[in-house]
Amino acid sequence: MNDSSIEEVRPVLQARDVSVQFGGVKALTDVSLFVRPGEICGLIGPNGAGKSTFLNAATRLVNYATGSIMLDGQPLEGVETRDMIGRGVARTFQNLGIYASMTVLENVMLGAHHRLGGSFAKAIFAPLRARALERSNREKAMAVLEEVGMANLAARAAGSLAYPLQKRMEIARALAAEPKILLLDEPAGGLTHGEVHEFGALVDGIRRRRNLSILLIEHHMGLVMSLCDRIVVFHLGRNLAEGTPAEIKSNDAVIAAYLGKAA
Amino acid sequence: MRDLSLSTAIKLSLFAIVAASISVFAPAYALQQVAIAIAYAIAILGLNLLMGYAGQICLAQGTLFGVGAYVTAILNATYGVSPLATLPVAAAVSAAVGLLIGLPALRLQGLQLAIVTFGIAAAFPQLLLKLGSLTGGVSGLPVDAPETPGFMTDVPELWLYLIALACAGIGALLVSRVLFGDAGRALRAQRDNPQIAQALGVNLTRTRLWAFATSSALAGLGGGVFAIVSGFISPESFLAILSINIVIGSIVGGVTSMAGAFVGGLFMVFVPSWASDINLSLGNLIYGLALILIMMVARNGITGFIEKWISMIFRRAAG
Repeated sequence: MNDSSIEEVRPVLQARDVSVQFGGVKALTDVSLFVRPGEICGLIGPNGAGKSTFLNAATRLVNYATGSIMLDGQPLEGVETRDMIGRGVARTFQNLGIYASMTVLENVMLGAHHRLGGSFAKAIFAPLRARALERSNREKAMAVLEEVGMANLAARAAGSLAYPLQKRMEIARALAAEPKILLLDEPAGGLTHGEVHEFGALVDGIRRRRNLSILLIEHHMGLVMSLCDRIVVFHLGRNLAEGTPAEIKSNDAVIAAYLGKAA
Repeated sequence: MRDLSLSTAIKLSLFAIVAASISVFAPAYALQQVAIAIAYAIAILGLNLLMGYAGQICLAQGTLFGVGAYVTAILNATYGVSPLATLPVAAAVSAAVGLLIGLPALRLQGLQLAIVTFGIAAAFPQLLLKLGSLTGGVSGLPVDAPETPGFMTDVPELWLYLIALACAGIGALLVSRVLFGDAGRALRAQRDNPQIAQALGVNLTRTRLWAFATSSALAGLGGGVFAIVSGFISPESFLAILSINIVIGSIVGGVTSMAGAFVGGLFMVFVPSWASDINLSLGNLIYGLALILIMMVARNGITGFIEKWISMIFRRAAG
């Protein structure tokens, strides 16, 4: 990919000059970011840089004061939080967004609630239709669990899994939503060095099979550098840098603010 | 999955055995008391969906029960509709009233919602008195006994008991349709973490309103059954304390258990009178201590307690 061809592709997600304020505190100031179709874009920066806040803004969990976020060229202003997943944006949460008391399968099936959800009305007045939806939801959820290598854990309570598996289950749930873009917030948290490599291969495989766009927040630099096509760096709620992994590694401002000399 | 359907089958057959032995061995008067307990159990089934699964509190379940009872009584006494035919109407009207309460009330949560709904429960009996031309005021309304099939005319209470049981079966079927599927998952999801549920596309308001309406419909159905089984209703049957007693029945039975609803209904009817039987002047003391004791040893209600013991015994037996 060279720069001139890139400009012609419409980004899946495009944020321009987004600012988010919590009371008097500015969490994000005029940040911009885009993710192209089929691309893994890294979002890195020190703690408190506003990375998760950006994800929350892009999924309408927090409101942005100024700026615009477009999804497939459509502005997100006024879209309800609950409608984001139906528009193709699925995410995972930094501090786990799982339902510990539900089984792994139930958690993943919730990912398809917006597509295969049987409403109350359906459940009460059209039970056969609801049951058919439930069956197809279960089959699809099992297929996704197979894809991430967790099919054998389907009946386990989610809360009983080790932390990295809970994170992986959360990715499976996001995939069950069949999104256009996947927003991953520190998905490799808790993994050992060896596991990170395998995890990178999993994410890359998912992207290729599904031709998915991914925005990846991660502190594990080895993973970010090897997996991402492009990296955006936030610092203190602002854009600090953007470029290929090689460019970011050698960017003086990024080294000073985040990577340090060792990188 | 197979384990689940097996345990459901075991529970259902146990339930059938208990229900059948009650009909055979219980004397006629007790049979009517059990039928009333089942009427309460239907209301508790609804409340369990609302409290246990939707995580919303409602201290007006007795009021919605009363609305159902009065719909049945008014339709029967004033308009001559056959008692059984009034039951769907009782459920529908209570659901509508529940929605009316739920719409503004769900903006509030938790403690505030408790107070608002209890306010409704407190106002209801007086409202019944004020609407005397419709409700018969303080003298109440009679309800015809449903026509008893020929072979049962010796024990009409048995027929009432079977009617109550059938209605409870319909109620339980309704609740299980909601709980064991996507709607139930969405309910639990919004209860355990509303923000994540929203990110998963769950419409919080709509989900909670449906839970409120379903719970209210069951309260109304239970109320209609109560009116038929009692044969007579007056405002005194629907004082504010009834709503509290239904909540107690729900929690004592086990708030996330369908079998618990029946335990709770029986508890509501029999335990206070047993307590008074032990010692008339100390009835409330004994009842109160019983409540405290149950919550100390069985936090998840009586059914939760039993399930815990059964699974422990099974594990011991397995190794």
